[in-house]
Amino acid sequence: MAPLNAIEVRNLRRIYRTTIGVIRRRVKEVVAVDDISFDVAPGELFGLLGPNGAGKTTMVKMLTTLLIPSAGTARVLGFDVVDQADPIRPRIGFIFGGERGLYWRLSAIDNLRYFASLYHVEPEIARKRIPYLLELVRLDGRGQEKVEGYSRGMKQRLHVARTLLHDPELLFLDEPTIGLDPIGARELRQVIRNLQSEKKTILLTTHYMFEADALCERIAVIDHGRIVALDTPEGLKRHVRDLSVIELEVYGIPPELLDVLRALEVVEAVTVENRDQKQAVLVQSPGGSEAVPEILAALSGLRVGKVIVREPTLEDAYVRLVGGEVEP
Amino acid sequence: MRSVTLNIRLFFQGALLSYVALFRWLSPMTYLASKVLMPLAQILFFSFLGMYATGQANASFYVIGNAIQLAAVSGIFGVTMSIGGDRWEGTLPYLFGTPANRMAMFVGRAFFHVLDGMVGVVLALMWGVLLLGLDLSHANPLALGLTILVATFSTSGMGLLLGCISLITLNVMFINNTVYFSLLVFSGANVPLSTLPAWMQSVAWALPLTRSIAAARQIIAGGSLAEVAPLLWMEVLIGAIYILAGYFLFRWFERQAKLRGTLDIF
Ligand SMILES: Nc1ncnc2c1ncn2[C@@H]1O[C@H](COP(=O)(O)OP(=O)(O)O)[C@@H](O)[C@H]1O
Ligand SMILES: [Mg+2]
Repeated sequence: MAPLNAIEVRNLRRIYRTTIGVIRRRVKEVVAVDDISFDVAPGELFGLLGPNGAGKTTMVKMLTTLLIPSAGTARVLGFDVVDQADPIRPRIGFIFGGERGLYWRLSAIDNLRYFASLYHVEPEIARKRIPYLLELVRLDGRGQEKVEGYSRGMKQRLHVARTLLHDPELLFLDEPTIGLDPIGARELRQVIRNLQSEKKTILLTTHYMFEADALCERIAVIDHGRIVALDTPEGLKRHVRDLSVIELEVYGIPPELLDVLRALEVVEAVTVENRDQKQAVLVQSPGGSEAVPEILAALSGLRVGKVIVREPTLEDAYVRLVGGEVEP
Repeated sequence: MRSVTLNIRLFFQGALLSYVALFRWLSPMTYLASKVLMPLAQILFFSFLGMYATGQANASFYVIGNAIQLAAVSGIFGVTMSIGGDRWEGTLPYLFGTPANRMAMFVGRAFFHVLDGMVGVVLALMWGVLLLGLDLSHANPLALGLTILVATFSTSGMGLLLGCISLITLNVMFINNTVYFSLLVFSGANVPLSTLPAWMQSVAWALPLTRSIAAARQIIAGGSLAEVAPLLWMEVLIGAIYILAGYFLFRWFERQAKLRGTLDIF
């Protein structure tokens, strides 16, 4: 019986305990994943979007059988991730972002051969599949080279080839584009799109809103280990459709003034971006340009440059969700 | 049946790749130098020191002892680097996420180092013949070959255990060097075991090499395979015990890492 959902997560939690201090040892607890539930349908490209430390990697580790949950359950392809790790492993592939996790002193082909045998891929199949995968991730012609000479993007693409060796039906891609330059990231996203068209189920994590928007059919936004929104990209944008963004150019702003802004009735969220010598204060407000005088009045005494009122982007939706000031 | 062939294949693939990785790390020249010159240095150093202390007549005692001891270079350094290398490369989460049989994965890493260690011992014995008048004419070649095989097998078993320890602790090289230098004394390569205090003798018989070195000395003096067989069987057993201890430590490490979330922090 095929499971209805590729992934089913129910009230999953993971607490890390670390001891700090050498002489007076104290136990410190971090709740990395805090009561998360969601489902991923077969063939879906599902995104977990959240800032650094949100709990994305912890989530992926539990779903890939590499970490035991502290509470709750997770089923992957119908199997329990704790009690039935054995049937899960040959059916899934996974990547943890970054360039580590390959044998740098070996060639790409040798790396793939070794992982093929770890995944019990028959040698005749591996012989055909390795060149095909190298081509898929645009490393054809470079397979004989040692991995240590590869660029970061090439290494991360080799990881994609590695995880496709055994033709898994479900893929976990944890920040696959992390640390790549824009071109490298775009190439990798193209590879991910190709996988999607091969009807693989994919769970992708990222901290780039635009990446989640460009690739995912549904996005769970997580922050501090909790899901703060779960919707399609369009649905997430609707969260901010009623708002405008007012950008104020300033030359240094004291934090107290930001709090004054946040306290205003017409203000939903405030963030600050550094731009060269200047900063931009981004204020989300339902009032649009009508709110500008009140905001400027609150900032009286501060030197303010250009003021722009614009439509919200998806990035603003994300800021509103994880910016910290607004309850979801 | 299929699973047996799969695991045999995995064993050899892992063996081959850990060896290829070694060769790509050391250039062929460096590798050759390490196989030819380092043994020469060790043999000369201890043989002349020993002859100075106890007399010319004892050269073969030191030559044989150190030649067999050299099995530990591949067995300990080679094997530990192969396993500890996974921590360096960050490959552990990927290995532990595969369905591969852990025993085949783990033990395969040692296989080529056993062969490599045997080559090292043979080269070392040749230095002894060429430079220090070692006389192999009374040795039964089969018995000597088996002794060399058993010596590298048991030191590689110890290497597997140390490799696992290196997954958990910080300083692999410190541990390896300490063990290697301890073996120089405890294995009886450079001092007759009977001159050691009782507690050191007990430790010596629990370590690999001790019996192989004793067996090699007997064989080269003209002893038969049957005479040394008990020593060799015990040496195989000791090697197997170290492998099993290493394997269980490896599984323990995997379980702890999953429980505590320490797979990529160590
Ligand atoms: N092995 C660990 N031990 C202790 N704390 C950890 C460990 N791994 C992650 N954390 C903590 O758990 C939280 C979530 O981390 P992580 O899952 O890596 O987030 P993300 O992948 O979204 O950046 C962070 O606060 C992080 O510091
Ligand atoms: Mg992460």
